[in-house]
Amino acid sequence: MLNKGDLRFILYFAVALLLQLTLVKYIQIYNWRPDLLLIVLVAFALQKGPNIGMTAGFLVGLVQDILSTQYLGLTALSKTVAGFLAGSLRGKFAARTEFLLTLFICGLMHDLIYFFINTLGENFSFQSLVVLYTIPNLTYTIIIGVVFSYFVDVQVSEERVI
Amino acid sequence: MKSLFGLFNQRRTLFLLLFYILLSFILMTLNDPFNIRGMRILVLQTMSVVKNIEDKFTYWNNLEQENSDLRRQLLEVSIENQRMQESMLENIRLRRLLKFKEEHKIDAVAANVIGFGQEQTIRSLVLDVGEKEGIAKNMVVVTEKGLVGKILDAEPEQSHAQILMDRNALVSVRLQKSRETGVIGWSGNLWLDLNYIPKDINVEVGELVITSGLSQIYPEGIKVGLVGEVEENKYELFKKIKVKPAVEFNKLEEVFVLTSSDSLMGEGKIAQ
Repeated sequence: MLNKGDLRFILYFAVALLLQLTLVKYIQIYNWRPDLLLIVLVAFALQKGPNIGMTAGFLVGLVQDILSTQYLGLTALSKTVAGFLAGSLRGKFAARTEFLLTLFICGLMHDLIYFFINTLGENFSFQSLVVLYTIPNLTYTIIIGVVFSYFVDVQVSEERVI
Repeated sequence: MKSLFGLFNQRRTLFLLLFYILLSFILMTLNDPFNIRGMRILVLQTMSVVKNIEDKFTYWNNLEQENSDLRRQLLEVSIENQRMQESMLENIRLRRLLKFKEEHKIDAVAANVIGFGQEQTIRSLVLDVGEKEGIAKNMVVVTEKGLVGKILDAEPEQSHAQILMDRNALVSVRLQKSRETGVIGWSGNLWLDLNYIPKDINVEVGELVITSGLSQIYPEGIKVGLVGEVEENKYELFKKIKVKPAVEFNKLEEVFVLTSSDSLMGEGKIAQ
């Protein structure tokens, strides 16, 4: 049964998806853009743990894949791993920095998987992609994550399983 | 079997992760089968509705700016159009002048009217030619339509021309049909006054008035105007004749200054 917090996160996911598809292109710098769904996913997985986190990651990634023209399953895989990692890392850092550090690690892993598979068998330099896209995108995502954590309480310690 | 479920429960997270990873890879290998394509089309169509709403919003948001830009562009195009029309009209005028000059083989200097004289008592034009172009006092100023006046004084780079519509301008003229001569001048009306034509001379409205050649300044045969009104008073010796000037003095932009009056003398070529 979905509780109020779950419904709230479903709304966040929906809004993030809508913004990602419509408004993010207006705030992108060169080709660098934040991943709003990843921010919500990390916040969600931190509260719900790895199982629900990776399931949410898979579903969100699948929706993104369907809405894009890229490989079906690629974002689902990246987001699954990100959701799993975020859920597994809860409680590993101080509560104050937990969200942003987790976002950094999950974002890095997400992009590494994504670009690694995306460039397999092609002449793209994986290292260049990491420098040119992963780091700027991740930085941008973390900046937006800071804003998100300012408005949304991402440290719901009472729901945590200790 | 029981131990297998136990293992799954113990390693549930790991199995779930492997399941999703495996499922993702399977999806990647099955990339874009028919049913997925259909779903993509469906979702993309739904998104296109959202995109249309977004486009409409952006359109309305940009409408004001776009309207302002279009108004500015319209103004620029309008000004450009006016300039082009002006250039076209100037071109027509200059062609006429050139044709006039070639047809009449006159020694003349083309001049632009750059202003009107500031004197209170003399109505004059300021021309952009002067002594450097060979302009001198009393040279005759004409257009292809007829007589304009004469040069009053010439400076190195510009000159002043007295027009016929000046109180001090008097020109000896001839009625083309009757060959009767008179003196034309201006008394402050819209038209010129032709004086000293005896009452017994038959003058028709529309008759051409040309310079007589009796003057030392104006050569013979330059069109001055057309007879507009003819009045007679039994107590006066001469007819009262109003002449409509051939030249519209307020619209003058380009004129010719005849540098040699000999070229027109006796030919009457301008009076056509």
